[in-house]
Amino acid sequence: MMRRLDKRDFETFLESVMEECDLYAPVSLTEGVSVFKKIDHPNEVNFSQLLTQKPAKEIFFPQSEPMFNYERRGGKIQITSNEEVKRERILLGARPCDIEAISLIEKVFMSEPYTDLYFLEKRRKTTLIGLGCNPPLSTCFCSSAGGDPFLRSGSDLFLVDLGDAYSVELLTEKGMVFSKNKFLREADPEDLRRIKELEDKAFEKVGFSIPMDGIEKRLDLMMESFFWDRVHEKCIGCRICTYLCPTCHCFDIVDEGDFARGQRMRNWDSCLSPLYSLETSGHNPRPTTRERTRQRLMHKFNYFPKIFNRVGCVGCGRCIQYCPVHFDIRQAIIWTSSKRPRKPKI
Amino acid sequence: MKNPYLPIPMVVKKAYSETSDRMLRTIELGFLNESDEKGFQFMPGQFCELSVLGKGEAPFGIASSPTEKGSLKFTINKAGRVTTALHHLEEGEEVGLRGPLGNHYPIDRFEGKNVLIIGGGFAFTTLRSLVVYLSHPENRSKVKEITIIYGARMPGLLLYKEELAQWENRKDLNLVVTVDWGDKNWKGKVGLVPNVLEEIAPSSKDTYAVICGPPIMIKFTFPKLMALKFPNERIYTSLEKRMKCGIGKCGRCNIGHLFVCKDGPVFSYAQLEKLPKDY
Amino acid sequence: MSQLAIQEKIREKAKELLSKKEVDLIIGFSNWTLPLRTTPVFIRTPEGTESLIWNSFCENNLATYIHKFSRFRVGIIVKGCDARSLTALSLEKRFNPERVFLIGVPCQRMVDRKKVTKAVKGEILRAEERGEEIIVEGEEFKTVLNKKDYLYPSCQVCTHRTPIQAHVLVDDPVEESPLVEIHPGVNQFEKKTFEERWRFFEKETSRCIRCYACREVCPMCYCTECFVDDYRPKWIGGGLQPQDLQFYHIVRAYHQTGRCSGCGACERACPMDIPLTYLTQKLNQDVKELFGFEVGLNSKTPPPLSTFEVDDKGDFIK
Repeated sequence: MMRRLDKRDFETFLESVMEECDLYAPVSLTEGVSVFKKIDHPNEVNFSQLLTQKPAKEIFFPQSEPMFNYERRGGKIQITSNEEVKRERILLGARPCDIEAISLIEKVFMSEPYTDLYFLEKRRKTTLIGLGCNPPLSTCFCSSAGGDPFLRSGSDLFLVDLGDAYSVELLTEKGMVFSKNKFLREADPEDLRRIKELEDKAFEKVGFSIPMDGIEKRLDLMMESFFWDRVHEKCIGCRICTYLCPTCHCFDIVDEGDFARGQRMRNWDSCLSPLYSLETSGHNPRPTTRERTRQRLMHKFNYFPKIFNRVGCVGCGRCIQYCPVHFDIRQAIIWTSSKRPRKPKI
Repeated sequence: MKNPYLPIPMVVKKAYSETSDRMLRTIELGFLNESDEKGFQFMPGQFCELSVLGKGEAPFGIASSPTEKGSLKFTINKAGRVTTALHHLEEGEEVGLRGPLGNHYPIDRFEGKNVLIIGGGFAFTTLRSLVVYLSHPENRSKVKEITIIYGARMPGLLLYKEELAQWENRKDLNLVVTVDWGDKNWKGKVGLVPNVLEEIAPSSKDTYAVICGPPIMIKFTFPKLMALKFPNERIYTSLEKRMKCGIGKCGRCNIGHLFVCKDGPVFSYAQLEKLPKDY
Repeated sequence: MSQLAIQEKIREKAKELLSKKEVDLIIGFSNWTLPLRTTPVFIRTPEGTESLIWNSFCENNLATYIHKFSRFRVGIIVKGCDARSLTALSLEKRFNPERVFLIGVPCQRMVDRKKVTKAVKGEILRAEERGEEIIVEGEEFKTVLNKKDYLYPSCQVCTHRTPIQAHVLVDDPVEESPLVEIHPGVNQFEKKTFEERWRFFEKETSRCIRCYACREVCPMCYCTECFVDDYRPKWIGGGLQPQDLQFYHIVRAYHQTGRCSGCGACERACPMDIPLTYLTQKLNQDVKELFGFEVGLNSKTPPPLSTFEVDDKGDFIK
C-alpha cells in the first residue's frame, strides 16, 4: 500500500508515533558524525548523512549490554536476566544495506539449536522503517553484494525522499498498522514515476562492478595463498571496520562487579584484535595481522556463505570510508579474481 | 524460550587436587535444582561453561560419564583468572554452569569395533568420561577391544590415579600408562606417548582412534597412527580454542565455517583436513 | 620544489636503494580509490617504485609500521613528525637503526580532509592539488579552495617540518615558522575554566567507540599488553561507560607525554571526530616548559618522564 507523508507533517507524524513506541533514528552527535539513538523529540532526527558511523545493528545488538545481573545474598546467588523489552520500538531511517544486515545477524543469532533472546526480543518488538538511498555514495557497492539502494525486503515500511514529501510504502503486517495514521495521506499518482526515476539513477550509480560472484569458490583455493601476505601489510589492527560493519557480530563476555553483586556484560569484540584468539597456553592461532585480515575476509566471503548461502557483506562501504589507512575491501575482492595482487585500474 | 546464556546453579560437593604440582584440581558439582538435573543429558566429549560470577566463565570438558549419576566432574588447570577462582572454591560454594554444549564422541560409530584411546597430560578429562562410559557393564559389550594409552610428563602429573588403578586390574581393558620421566617409586613404563604407541602397534583394522593431548604430542603421535594405517575418518580428536559464548554466536572459536563450540569440539581428522589450518 | 618534483626524487631514491639491495622494503604512499586520500604501500622491487607518490594528502605516520616490519631492512618516507617518532622509537630500542633508512621529505603541511569534506555540499568525487589550491569536484559542484585554510591544526603549529634525522632529504629544508603560535585546540582549551575543560573533555570522549584506531595508528603505542586489556588488576571496563572512555583517553595521552611527536595521526584516524591532539599537544607544551624537551630531535636524549636523574627538580614536592 502506498501513502505519502508531507515533510511539513514529518515531526507531528513522529510525535504521534512516539506516544506508543520508543523511536530510534539517526542523530547527529557533532557535524559529520551520527549514530542511531532513541530520540526524545522529533527534531533530533538527522538524515543528512547517507550512512551513520555506527550501523543500525546497534539497536538490536548494543555495543555494551548487560545480559544479566547477579547478586549473592545469604549464600544464594540470584540472577536477573535483562532480555525483556518493555515498549514497542520503531527504527526509522535505516538504509536497505543496514536492514539487510540485520537479517544476516538474525540468521546467526537464531541459528539452531540456540536462540539469542537478547537479540530476538528487540527484533520482535521493532518495526523497521527503511529509507531509500538517493543518491548512494561512491563507496556503496550494495548491488554487487546482493542488495540494492532501494531494496524493500526486510523493511516494514519504506520511505523514499521525494523532496517535499516522503513516499511511504506499507509492506508488512507491522507496516499496515500505520494505514490508519492520519498524517499518511493518499499517494500522488506522480509519486510512482518519481520513485522509479530515483531508483534508476541510484542503481546506475552503484553499478555491479565488484566481482562478488563465485568468490566463495575462489577463496576455497586460497587459504594458504601468498595473497594474504600482501593484503594485510597496511592493516594496523584497529577495530574500525568491524565495529562500523553492519554484519559483524563478534562479541566478548565479561563479568563486571565483585563477589556481592555485578553484571555479566556482552561487549562488541573484533577478530582483528590480537587477543581475540589468544589461548591461555599462550598459543595464538592468528598471531599477526596476516592471519587476522585473512580471517575477516574469509569469514565474510567464504565461511558465512558456506553456512547461509549469501556473502556476509552488504556493500555499505563504511569500512572503506573510515579505515585510517585506506584499506579498500573492494580491491581485496577484485584481487581474488586475479592471480596475485597488482596495482588495480579502478 | 530458554535463554542459553543463563547459568544454572550448582554446588561444589567435593574439590581435591589431582596432581603433585597442585595445578590441576578436580571439582565435583551437584545440581541445586532437581529439574535441572533431570533435563541434563549428555554424552562423553561434551563440555560445560563454568561461571564464577564476578570473575567470568570458561569452558571445561566433562570428566564424569553419564553413567555416573548425581554429580558432574571437571578437572581444572590453574592458568588465569577464572581457573584460579575455581581452584579457590570450597565445598558448599555455588558456581554457575551452562551445558551440555558441543558434540560428543561418535559412540554409535564405535559399536562392534575396537577403540584405541590415546591421551596426554591434562587433556585426558573427556577421555575419562569416554572410558568410564564404554567400560560400564551396560555398554562394555557394545564395543570390542578397548586399548588406552595415557602419558604424562611425570608420575605425579597423572590424572585420575584411582581410576587408572581400577582399569589396570580389569581384564577387558588394555591400559598402558607411561611417563616421560619416572621417579624412584615409578614401576611403570617410561617413554613418550608416540613411541609407546609405536611399540604397542595396535591393529588399525576395524578400530577407531581417539586422541587428545597437547599440540606437541599430537604432532608426533599422528604420524605414528598414519604408519599404523589408521584412515583419517577413523581418527577423532577434541579441539580446544578460545571460547566465550559456547553456542556459536560470538564468532570467536571458528575454524573455517565450523565452530569448535557447536560443531565440535570433537572432530575427525577427515573433517579437519578440509578445514583451514586455523588452530 | 614542486610536489611533483619531490615525488620524482622519492621514486629515484627508493629505486636506487632497492636496486642496490640496500633495503628489502620501501614503505611510502600511493594513490588508491578515494579522493583526498593516499594509502601506505610496501614496495619490494625497483619497478614497483613507480607507484610512490607525494602530495598534501600523505597524512599517515608511517613510523607505526616499523613494529611490524622491523625484521626487514626498510626504507621509510618520512615527514618531520614521522622522523621524530622514529628517533624516539630508536631511543626506546624498538628497532636497529642500522637497518632503517629514512628518506626525508620536508613537509609542506598536510590537508585536513575532514574539513574539506565539510566545506562542500555533496560527496566529493575528485580532488586535485594545484599549487596552493585544492580543487574538489562532486556530481553537482566544482569548488576551488585555498589550501592554507584547510591544513591540520597539528601542521599549522608545527616547527619541525624538516626531518633533520633522515639519511637523505629529497628537498631543501623548509623555513621552520609555524602558521599559528599555539595549537588552535590547545588555545581554546587553555581559555576554559577548570569546569569547562572537564565538560568539554567529557562531551568529546562520550562519542568514543573503543575502536582503538588512535592507539594502533600511533607509532608510540606498541605495548603487546595494553593497559586496557589487563585484568589482574582490571583498570578499565570493556564497554562504553563514561568513566571507562575518559580513563582510556586520559591515560593514553599521559602515556604519550614526552614521547609524542605531535603528528596528529590519532585525531585523523578517529571515525567519531574526537579531537585528541589538544590533549597530547598541551602535554607536549608542558613538557617543553618544564623540562625544555621536545621528543625526537636528537637520538641521544631520552624523554624526561622515562628517566630518573638524582638532580631532577623536586619543587613539586611541598
